[in-house]
Amino acid sequence: MKKLLTWWGERALLVLISVVVLFPISWMFLTAFKQPRDAYSTSLNFTPTLDNFVTVFSDPWNLGSMVMNSVIVAVVTVAIAVPCASLAAYSFSRFRVRGRKFLFFLILSTQFIPAVVIVLPFFLMFRSLGLLDTRLALIIVNLAIVTPFVIWMIKGFIDAIPTDSEEAAMIDGASRLRVIKDIVLPMAAPGILTSSIFCFILTWNEFLFALILSRRDAVTLPVGLVSFRTERGDLWELMSAAGVMITVPIFIMALLIQKHFTRGMTAGAVK
Amino acid sequence: MAEVRLVDIEKRYGSFVAVAKQSLTIENGEFLVLLGPSGCGKTTTMRMIAGLEEITAGDILIAGERVNDKPPKDRDIAMVFQNYGLYPHMTVGQNIEYPLKLRGVNKATRQQQVQDTAAKVELDALLGRRPSELSGGQRQRVALARAIVRTPKIFLMDEPLSNLDAKLRVTMRAELKHLHHELGVTTVYVTHDQMEAMTLASRVAVMREGRIVQLDTPRKIYAEPADLFVAGFIGSPSMNLVNGSVTAGRFRAEGIDVPVDLPDRDSVVLGIRPEELDIATDSSAPVAGKLYALELTGDSTLVTMRMGKTSVCARGPADFEAAINEPCYLTPKAGARFHLFDRNSGQRLDG
Repeated sequence: MKKLLTWWGERALLVLISVVVLFPISWMFLTAFKQPRDAYSTSLNFTPTLDNFVTVFSDPWNLGSMVMNSVIVAVVTVAIAVPCASLAAYSFSRFRVRGRKFLFFLILSTQFIPAVVIVLPFFLMFRSLGLLDTRLALIIVNLAIVTPFVIWMIKGFIDAIPTDSEEAAMIDGASRLRVIKDIVLPMAAPGILTSSIFCFILTWNEFLFALILSRRDAVTLPVGLVSFRTERGDLWELMSAAGVMITVPIFIMALLIQKHFTRGMTAGAVK
Repeated sequence: MAEVRLVDIEKRYGSFVAVAKQSLTIENGEFLVLLGPSGCGKTTTMRMIAGLEEITAGDILIAGERVNDKPPKDRDIAMVFQNYGLYPHMTVGQNIEYPLKLRGVNKATRQQQVQDTAAKVELDALLGRRPSELSGGQRQRVALARAIVRTPKIFLMDEPLSNLDAKLRVTMRAELKHLHHELGVTTVYVTHDQMEAMTLASRVAVMREGRIVQLDTPRKIYAEPADLFVAGFIGSPSMNLVNGSVTAGRFRAEGIDVPVDLPDRDSVVLGIRPEELDIATDSSAPVAGKLYALELTGDSTLVTMRMGKTSVCARGPADFEAAINEPCYLTPKAGARFHLFDRNSGQRLDG
C-alpha cells in the first residue's frame, strides 16, 4: 500500500513539474495558431490559423529581417568565438606561462560585471564609431560576452584530455598546431560542440544590448518581440507566433545534436 | 641508430632538484634501463631526451648533434608511454600509420609498412578496431607498433609494461628483448621493476633522488652493488642487510659471526643474498636465530629467521620443513660473497 502511494506520489510530482514547465510553452504554441479574438480565451476549442505567421512576416512587422539579423549575429559570433576560445583554452590548459592564473581570472572576471553597467559605455562607443544599429556592433558585443564563457567551458573539456596522446603525436613528428588539429580537436569535439551550442543560445537570446544598440536595421528576434506591445495593447497571437520562430530553431538544433553529445562524451578516454 | 650523450644535464623546478647535474652516455645499439623508485627522476631524464621536458642546464646530444633546442618532432625518436598514449579517435591502423603520414610517406608505402609492422606484433586482424575495443595487451602492442613502424634513431620506453597483468608482462618482456635484438636500435627504458631491468638491460642505471647511483651491467650490479640503496633494491627477495662491527677480521652482530677481509671498524653493514645461504643443522653455524616464517615459492622455500631485532632470509629447498620459533642455523654456501657497507655513508667498503 505504502509502495503504491509512493508510486503515485512520484508520478503526481512529475506531472506537476511538467505542467509548470510546459504550460507556458504549450500556451505560446497554441496562441500562435489562434485568431486575435481567441487569444484571451482559455478554451481549447478554436479554429487554428496560420494567419499570424503570415502577418508577422509582412509589413509593418517584417520578422524576416529580424530572423536574418539573429541568424547572422549568432552564427558569426559562434564562428569567431569558438575557434578563438578553443585556442585560448588550449593555451590556458597546457602552457605554464607566468601569470597564467591571473590572466585566466581576468578573463573570467569580465563575467562578474552586470550587463546594465556597461551597456551605456558600449552605446557611446558604438555611436562615436558610427556602428549603432549595425549587426557588426551586436557581433562585437556578443563576442565580448560569450568568449570568456566559452574559453572557460572548453578549457574544462581540454583539461580532461590526458596529455599522453598529445606528447605521443609530438614525438611521432607533429608540430604543436598539427597536434591541436589532429589530436586535441577531435578528442575535444563533443565539448567544443556543446560550447558552440551554448554560445549560439546565449547570442540568440541576448536581449539587453540588442535593445539598446539597435533601432531599425539590426533588430534581432528577442527585441522584435517587444514591438508587439503596441498602443492597441499587447498583440499576444503575433507575439506567440514570433516566440515560436525563436524557439523552434533551438529545439531542432538540440534534437539533432543530442545523439552526438552522448556518443562523443563516452568515446573519449582510453587508458 | 645513434649514440645518446647527456652532458652535465640538470633539471630543477624552482628550488627542487628533479635530476641532479650529471652525465651519461648511451652507446649505439645499447639497451639502457633507468631503474629506481618513483620520484627518482628516471622519467624526467627520459622526457628530457624526448624533448618533452626542458632541461635547466647541460647538453643533450643525439648522434653527435646537440638537440637542446629541437622540438620532439625533430629528434627522430619513438616513444612508448606508460598509458600507451594512443589516439582514441583513430583505428589501430591509423594509429600505426600516423607517424608515417606526418613524415610525408606516400600512401602505398604507408599501407605496406603498417601491414608489415602489424604482422610483426600480431595485430593484423585488429587494424580496423578502435583502441577502446582492445585489451590492455593489445593496446600495448599498438603503441609498440606505432613506435617501430619507422626506424627512429632511439626508442624511449616509459614503464611500458606496468599496466599489464603479471603473466602478460613476462611474455611482452621477452618480445621486447627479441625486438631489440632484431632491430638493434638504441633503447632507453624506464622502470621501477628490478626484474624487468635485470632481464632486459645491456646496462642499468640505478637512480635515486635525481642521481645515478650506479651504472653497470645487470650482472655487475647484482654481484657488486655500489651502496646500500642498490643492494636493497636489486634482487628478489632483497639482500639481507645486518648492522654490526668488524673486530679482528670477523664481522659480528647478534647471532652472526663470519670472517671478513676488513680492518677493524664500527658501523658496518653486512650484506648477503638469500640465495647464497644454506640451511644448516649444526649449532656452530655462523648464523643462528629462531625460525620466524616459511614461505613456499614452488621451486624453493624462503626461510626467514630472527635474531633480536634483525631478520635474515635464506632460500632453502622446497621440501624444507621446521617448526616456527625453533632454533635455526644458516651457513654461507661455498663461494658466497659478503658485501660490506659503511652504515653512515651507505658506501661499499670492499673493493
